[in-house]
Amino acid sequence: MYKPIIALTLAAAMVGTLAAAAPRHGPKWIIGMSQCNLGEPWRVQMNADIRKTAEAHPEIEVVFKDAQNDTLMQRSQIEEFISSGVDLLIVSPKEAAPLTPPIAEAFRQGIPVIVLDRRVLGSDFTEFIGADNRKIGRYAGEWMVRRLAQLPAVKAGGRARMVELKGLMTSTPGQDRSAGFREALKGQPVDIIFEADMKWLEPEARREMESALAVYKQIDLVYAHNDPGAHGAYLAAQAAGRLRDIIFVGIDALPQEGQVYVRQGLLEASFEYPTGGREAVENALKVLQGESVPKEVTLKSRVFTRDNITKGGEWLP
Amino acid sequence: MKRTFRRWIAIPSVRALLALALVVMIGSIYNADGAFFRWSTHRDMLRQVSTYGILASGMTLVIITGGIDLAVGSVLGLCAVLFAQLSLHQGLPALVAVAVVLAAGAASGLVSGTLVTRFKIQPFVATLAMMVLARGLAKWLSGGQKISRVIQQPDGNFSYVDLPPVFRLLDSRLLGGDLAAVTLIFFGCLAISWVVLAKLRYGRYLYATGGNEEAARLSGVPVVRAKLLAYGLSGLFGAIAGICQAAQEQQGDPEAGISYELTAIAIAVIGGNSLQGGRGSIGLTLLGALMIGYLEKILSLNAVGESSRLMLTGIIIIAAVLLQRRKPG
Repeated sequence: MYKPIIALTLAAAMVGTLAAAAPRHGPKWIIGMSQCNLGEPWRVQMNADIRKTAEAHPEIEVVFKDAQNDTLMQRSQIEEFISSGVDLLIVSPKEAAPLTPPIAEAFRQGIPVIVLDRRVLGSDFTEFIGADNRKIGRYAGEWMVRRLAQLPAVKAGGRARMVELKGLMTSTPGQDRSAGFREALKGQPVDIIFEADMKWLEPEARREMESALAVYKQIDLVYAHNDPGAHGAYLAAQAAGRLRDIIFVGIDALPQEGQVYVRQGLLEASFEYPTGGREAVENALKVLQGESVPKEVTLKSRVFTRDNITKGGEWLP
Repeated sequence: MKRTFRRWIAIPSVRALLALALVVMIGSIYNADGAFFRWSTHRDMLRQVSTYGILASGMTLVIITGGIDLAVGSVLGLCAVLFAQLSLHQGLPALVAVAVVLAAGAASGLVSGTLVTRFKIQPFVATLAMMVLARGLAKWLSGGQKISRVIQQPDGNFSYVDLPPVFRLLDSRLLGGDLAAVTLIFFGCLAISWVVLAKLRYGRYLYATGGNEEAARLSGVPVVRAKLLAYGLSGLFGAIAGICQAAQEQQGDPEAGISYELTAIAIAVIGGNSLQGGRGSIGLTLLGALMIGYLEKILSLNAVGESSRLMLTGIIIIAAVLLQRRKPG
């Protein structure tokens, strides 16, 4: 007896939601933004940066789509943007190879494409904006080597002992942040005594740190590929009563996360991984107004430490 | 002598104990320079498995009725966000926040139960839908961000909230540092489920429903109310786990608990509870939790790489279940 009513209500709800979500054309330029996932706070920040910059420009409207970290879903969403005729596409692809064809298709059909953060193959796009994870890893490594050199044990000729808590090592940021950092460690009196893949997740990082603390009596520094990981390691060390001896370093430095941790003294340093959201919208406007933009923009990054946090960090070369 | 051994080995809890002993033996061999023998390792292992164990305590009840609850991971996330919102951002007193969150968890469990009993939707499908719905609710409530002690003001600056005492309490260590508070809560949840299953009339109803639902119904067992109880408690335990998670992370993460339901099911099943229902006990769930907990700990202490970890865990789960299989006849 209820079935037709339920079915009709559901259908109406679906139509209503879809109508509200569909992009409207009008005097505005429509920009489609394809985000690979909104599970990472960093990507939530990227979308927030895009939204904030776009709000100041009433002549553009940004439509956001979240692929929930599913490559095939992201491909369909890009195809949807193409068929709905967006004026420009901003995309942060999950991975390069499977998403290159739909992005190239958009580009060839005359839709300007700005690729953010993760690369695609070939050159069928207008502009790539991203930071260099390998460089950031290397700066982090160099900072850590300098910091560890101040330890009495190292000054006396010993070697420093550190833990690396890695992000998902099947993702390029994880691979780059690890590779760059290890480059900086070559030939230095530093040993990585424990390493584990915490998949960017705080509870995982806490678990791995607990194991490290159980096995090793002396740890000088913990390098986590992101700030949530560093925070998890901090909580583990706090619970074990071994906070005093350990230095914590993270990456991302989001204002409400990593920078807060530095300010509160949990982390000694956090390296900014800029989202590029603002730059993407600014360059999108240039493109829509007929100006030319460079093919490659490498974002610069800052390091936030206890000494410079009040001054807004320090730019890295 | 041989017949006594055979009778003895037929008891599920004995088989589970043997499987657990096997895991502990592996840990003793691969002890990571003695780390396996330190008390801190065992204490940490208990803390780490507690969240999954709390979920498994509820999951066991549902499995015994012959159903499944795939929504518990999402309920954990939703409740973690809700608890953080109420305590950190709204500044509500601990008791109020806890009460509201527990009610929310129980309510979501009852919705699942109603979908299964009243609307006759298969448990897998009903709780799958709840899993997606609850996760969406969590993301909506939190605006996609983690609810932490940092609150963004309208002018763009950040203000910080002090950590409420209830958070500190839940993440603390009791008995002079030997036992984590969440471990105690895990044991408490096990105890509640044990009382329901072993001591209350409704426990027998749960077994009867899972064993043969038609026969139970015809014998006058209140099958609908029994199932509602099971799913309601499962949701309630999901809320408890969510509160503990929020306290331990000092934030409410809308992504918390993803795929935790699978681990909860694995714990119940590895312990020897049957997915077909009608059989099992909370004791088996406890043994399953210890097995999974030690397994993860051993792999973590020995810094086993991710791919090996996943493959080994899969193989050991199969082995543990096969070792405990009831021989026909």
